[in-house]
Amino acid sequence: MALLEIEDLRVGFPVGGRMVDVVRGVSLTVEAGEAVGLVGESGSGKSQTALAILRLLRHPGRIVGGSIRLDGQDLTQADEATMRQLRGGVISIVFQDAMSGLNPVFPIGVQLTDVVRAHRGVSARAARDVAVETLELVGIRNAAARLGQYPHQFSGGMRQRVLIAMAVACHPRLLIADEPTTALDVTVQAQIVSVLRDLRQRLGLGLLFITHNLDLMAEICDRAIVLYGGMVMEDGSVGTLFDAPKQPYTRALIECVPRLSDRAGDLRPIQGASPVPAELGDGCPFQPRCALRLGRCEIKRPPLVPLDGHGVACWNPVI
Amino acid sequence: MTVPLLELVGIGKTYPLTQRLLPRLLGHRHDHAAMEDVSLSVPRGGVLGLVGESGSGKSTTARIILQMEQPTTGTLRFDGTALTGLSDAALRPYRRRMQMVFQDAGSSLNPRKTVGHLLGESLALVGVKRRHRTEHAVELLRRVGLDGGLLGRYPHQLSGGQRQRMAIARALAVGPDLLVADEPVSSLDVSLQAQILLLLMELRDRLGLTMVFISHDLALVHHLCSSVAVMHAGRIVEQGTPAEVLRHPRHAYTRRLLDAVPRRRTRGEKFKPQEERCDG
Amino acid sequence: MNRHIAMMGAIARRPAGRIGGIIVCLVLLVAIAAPLLAPYDPLAVNLSAKLLPPNAAHWLGTDQDGRDMVSRLIWGARPSLAVGLLAVAIGMFGGVTLGLTAAVIRGVWEQLAMRTMDGLASIPLLIWAIAIVGIVGVGPVELGGWSLPNESKIVLLVGILYMPPLARVAYGAALLEARAEYVQARRLQGARLWPVMLGDVLPNCLSPVIVQATLLIAVGIVVEASLSFVGLGVEPPAPSWGNMLADARQFIYSGAWWTYVFPGLAISITVIGFNLLGDALRDTLDPRKSAGAGRLVI
Repeated sequence: MALLEIEDLRVGFPVGGRMVDVVRGVSLTVEAGEAVGLVGESGSGKSQTALAILRLLRHPGRIVGGSIRLDGQDLTQADEATMRQLRGGVISIVFQDAMSGLNPVFPIGVQLTDVVRAHRGVSARAARDVAVETLELVGIRNAAARLGQYPHQFSGGMRQRVLIAMAVACHPRLLIADEPTTALDVTVQAQIVSVLRDLRQRLGLGLLFITHNLDLMAEICDRAIVLYGGMVMEDGSVGTLFDAPKQPYTRALIECVPRLSDRAGDLRPIQGASPVPAELGDGCPFQPRCALRLGRCEIKRPPLVPLDGHGVACWNPVI
Repeated sequence: MTVPLLELVGIGKTYPLTQRLLPRLLGHRHDHAAMEDVSLSVPRGGVLGLVGESGSGKSTTARIILQMEQPTTGTLRFDGTALTGLSDAALRPYRRRMQMVFQDAGSSLNPRKTVGHLLGESLALVGVKRRHRTEHAVELLRRVGLDGGLLGRYPHQLSGGQRQRMAIARALAVGPDLLVADEPVSSLDVSLQAQILLLLMELRDRLGLTMVFISHDLALVHHLCSSVAVMHAGRIVEQGTPAEVLRHPRHAYTRRLLDAVPRRRTRGEKFKPQEERCDG
Repeated sequence: MNRHIAMMGAIARRPAGRIGGIIVCLVLLVAIAAPLLAPYDPLAVNLSAKLLPPNAAHWLGTDQDGRDMVSRLIWGARPSLAVGLLAVAIGMFGGVTLGLTAAVIRGVWEQLAMRTMDGLASIPLLIWAIAIVGIVGVGPVELGGWSLPNESKIVLLVGILYMPPLARVAYGAALLEARAEYVQARRLQGARLWPVMLGDVLPNCLSPVIVQATLLIAVGIVVEASLSFVGLGVEPPAPSWGNMLADARQFIYSGAWWTYVFPGLAISITVIGFNLLGDALRDTLDPRKSAGAGRLVI
């Protein structure tokens, strides 16, 4: 049984009297210890999916359908007390903006030990030891000395490491990382990726890595799920996805990213703009921008079907 | 030999960290050198890619180029004329010849003014009569790939990509010779980055615009730029054509930057990022 | 234009806004249309009808000189609102000018302007008004060929003392706005300083100023009432809610309740109305200003 199993998840927000779905039937699985990348742009629903797993959706958004099973237990039906136990203890999340994730008026040591004591109920001294151990695990030197420092005394990359430490302090089984490196410099980003890889190895941590950066995702994940307009377009192992993408959106996305290895001037943007959730109809959300669109693409959404080892949602996939 | 459009010679910019009088008098002067001995040159029609991470001094360089601040040392020359040391009044005619495209288009456009109003203001500054402003505005929008029907919209009603194009249109409205783009695509979705990059390339070719393209993303520079300069801790550590800098980097920092760019690595190739030098 | 309509809609949606808005509109209407609405002449003395309780002819009764309460209350709205609105207008004009210029020009002017404002702010409003009017004396103000009623002194004094709070609000907002990227962008295009300040910075400073101003109107009404109550405001026989209360003091124990209850209610309801409106305005204006707050992260 997979660690995390999401089936036909729908998340909606009431807008002007009706329900607008931003996650429109997403299904995915994460096995224990696996690193899965959730790739998508603005409006794809990737962050809302992550928040839904932990039941952290901002009111008035809510889950309107589907199930989220953790080790078989359906989280959409769980009560708040159960969720509180799970958050930080079994599933943790790291967000993009480290400065808002940390309380500026408390030293990081206090924030770390709070997490540990909340879940493990150990003494202050034991919690402190765990805190130091975790900080060293994420590569912060002089951890014991730095426990008393405040968030503003750390650089951006260091702060993100502290957030990661807070997330893994209780050895969760799944870590959700929502755009953890987007605000960071590229060299710092590489360090954070290295920290995450290291943690996975040492703690056997499962990872759901959410990003809009395909290449970054490829550095760290084994499998990838491509989201667009609130639904899964394609999913498969990273290797096969890059080598032979079947969904036109996946292929266009891979090709439009400017890369060092490109020939100068050889840019292939995707024309048009990301869809607005409220304006999506019944057909495939990518259809207006798709070079391979057919008549039926506008009328009916393609289901996610297995094709050559990928899951592909397309009426006219690239063979 | 033609004079380069933009020339920075030995520019240095220091910010005093200790501002109180007594400690400074007593010798406790802590200064932060945001830029040190920076020399750059951009020929007319060329595009300089300025690459660096946060704290490298690239944003300060942009501010100095646009004369938003005066350098502590060194000279800045625009089309042969030294701009450093000029008074506000003497600088004014040069202002419209160099324009900035900010990273966050949203905050560089007054949220209470419509697209038409914003463009109209800029056009008014270059003497376009009121009755011609609408047609000029529509033309500007067309040039950046936007529909004229957007004139009545407010910035927050545009998508991220549209806003960035609008910011470029506004910069073009005053007819600059030089465009300084400070991380113009960093806050955009990846599928839009190529679109905006192509737009900038078009503008370079069709309007003969000279540009300084500032980015922390090396992968973008070789498409657009004719020369690249890498900045680290306030200094230029490497300069040259994109081919030279990207394929045969000489400085260790450039190599680190190149190595850190995410990409698919061949089996067995492991990435070992350098640990942060200082604990902070 | 659409934004303003949308804003008014947002205010109407809030209960505080609805109630406050209705009260304020009614009071304004009453004050403006006084000549049309008042059933009797407020100054008409009729000693045979003195101290009549509310009845068919006089809905709210008559006072000790037989004058109709309804008419006096209606006409009494004018000085209250005049002081409230005019004083705030003076305060806004002076305060916003000082605050805006201080934030933009900075340096010596900033210190001079804002410290003067600090000094003025330390003077208690009512004491200042009583002291000045006491010194200058009660009576009409002769200005050129014009004769302004005594209240104009109050308007001026209160207006001056309203400048500090409004200047501070404008100053704080202007300090932030002047550093905004879109202001920098305009300056980089060669726009001159003052057109940018007036066209870009000022409009974005007005929201908090307006909220503060609404609340100060309420204060002004109370100030006028207090001064008239002690005889330094509107000179009898012209009615003002404050001097009506003063006249009614003698009747508190002798039973002619309609002489003091209605003026008191008039003051209270009007003040509550302006306060509620100010609250609703603050709620509508503030969350809109913070860009990105509550933005959906997809």
